[in-house]
Amino acid sequence: MAERLLALQRTLADLLLDAEGRQAFSEAPEAFAAARGLDAADQQAFVRYRRRLLVYRELVQGALEDPLPDCFPFTHQILDEAGAWTDCVQAFIAARAVQSPYFRDINPTFVAWLAEGGWGKERWPFLLQLAHYEYIELDVLRWPEAPSREGLGDTPGADLRVAFDGAFRNLAYQWRVHESTEEAPVPLEGPAHLVCYRDRDLGFETLEVDPHTSAFLARCLEGQALGEAASGIGLDLPAAQGLLGRLRENGAVLGFS
Amino acid sequence: MTKDPFQGVGVGLRRPHLAEVAALDQSPVPFWEIAPENVVGQGGRRHRQAMAILERDPVLTHGLSMSLGGFDAWEAEALDNLRAFLKTTRSPWHSEHLCWTSYGGANTMELLPMPFTREAVDHTVERAKRLKGELPVPFLFENVSYYAELGHAEMSEKAFLAEVLEGADCGWLLDINNVYVNSRNHGFDPKEWMEGLPLHRVRQMHIAGHWWDEAEGLVIDTHGAEVVDPVIELFEWVLPRIGRPLPVLLERDNNIPSLAELLAEREKLQAVYDRALAPILTGDGRG
Repeated sequence: MAERLLALQRTLADLLLDAEGRQAFSEAPEAFAAARGLDAADQQAFVRYRRRLLVYRELVQGALEDPLPDCFPFTHQILDEAGAWTDCVQAFIAARAVQSPYFRDINPTFVAWLAEGGWGKERWPFLLQLAHYEYIELDVLRWPEAPSREGLGDTPGADLRVAFDGAFRNLAYQWRVHESTEEAPVPLEGPAHLVCYRDRDLGFETLEVDPHTSAFLARCLEGQALGEAASGIGLDLPAAQGLLGRLRENGAVLGFS
Repeated sequence: MTKDPFQGVGVGLRRPHLAEVAALDQSPVPFWEIAPENVVGQGGRRHRQAMAILERDPVLTHGLSMSLGGFDAWEAEALDNLRAFLKTTRSPWHSEHLCWTSYGGANTMELLPMPFTREAVDHTVERAKRLKGELPVPFLFENVSYYAELGHAEMSEKAFLAEVLEGADCGWLLDINNVYVNSRNHGFDPKEWMEGLPLHRVRQMHIAGHWWDEAEGLVIDTHGAEVVDPVIELFEWVLPRIGRPLPVLLERDNNIPSLAELLAEREKLQAVYDRALAPILTGDGRG
């Protein structure tokens, strides 16, 4: 094992990622390096390149933050207006949650980090759900196409199961996250059952449904036949069939088997 | 006989240009370059456009986050994805950066400097050999911009690069902008620097713009501006010394201009390329 190389990389990673890395390193670069097991010559290199190593910190923080405002415009707006965006991003980066080699995974990792750590939930109880909904648009738009399936019918018969498109999402929120606007980004409290999908033109669509329909779609997604799924929650079958027919026309459903 | 498409000046294929490029009847460039990390495992409109272009046009692949000099293991799924992408694109080789990007599993999404030490040479050579063995095509690595030495240097950057190239027996993706950026930031003569290196290993070049950070007194490799004249001059200087046609990639990752503007810059660099290699291509020069 290349112990010295490992220690050098560990030291730089701590400087670049840790929330207190900038301050601790700026105040005492030699001690910062020594605390991580580096010898005197390596400590002096950290002293000599103090300012330039801090440039790397700016570059890393920028690279990891860069995709977030575009993907989470209202989350960003709310936190930025509260002066909390930078704290949020720094806490996210310090958690070292981004482990994928893919740049695209920064956005879903941010949502997962909010879910696991609960950052900001006391002050902004809607934050996770808003961020989740904001990410869903990108998730749906970029979801990989599944290979075409043979043997699917066009008619939603009562004894058939539904083949949903892979980008179809059946979601339930406790906040009206889909109604956020630039003028009023904070969502109102209240249930929102949303169906999100990629239409035939590969655009993003959201449809609000009632709780019964949401429960019906959840049963269909679990693999229940239409009739069974509808009767289980007392839903009118012709209405359910009508909805699934429209979803098929729109590209959210591939067919029935 | 079909002309080798991997000659002359190509362009990085970027998201804002996908729809326009996909709608063209034929490629406006000899070849594109693309990062597999930005394409694999996705779908939707832009992905379809990208894949249509990659199916139609010659492409070179250039990776961003293999962390060649790091310690983190490569995920089997990421390697499978890369191999499949190389097969789909028919890229004749794959390139990465001579740097590290992740530590302890945490990805920084930044190209971080290697220590110029014997230990780091041995470690990187071993990783490069392993990566070579994982790929279905030859592997090149690129000299990176670095703003600071990581730890006490036992050798120069030049010696470090030469030793890893020879030790790993890899091709070299010569980034001429990175040579210039490093020469400005660390105070050396870029021509002298290149003269002492194994130019026979160069299989591809990168050329790009950068940014002068006045506050830090540092040139930052941003790929966010047009290529500056001193870099073009270095480009023209080194081409005859390499002595053979090869693919040169114009990189632009930030402040991305319109496709027309980018193609105009490509034309300008192509003229430099043609002029620099003319004596060799007409049998009138060295090499």
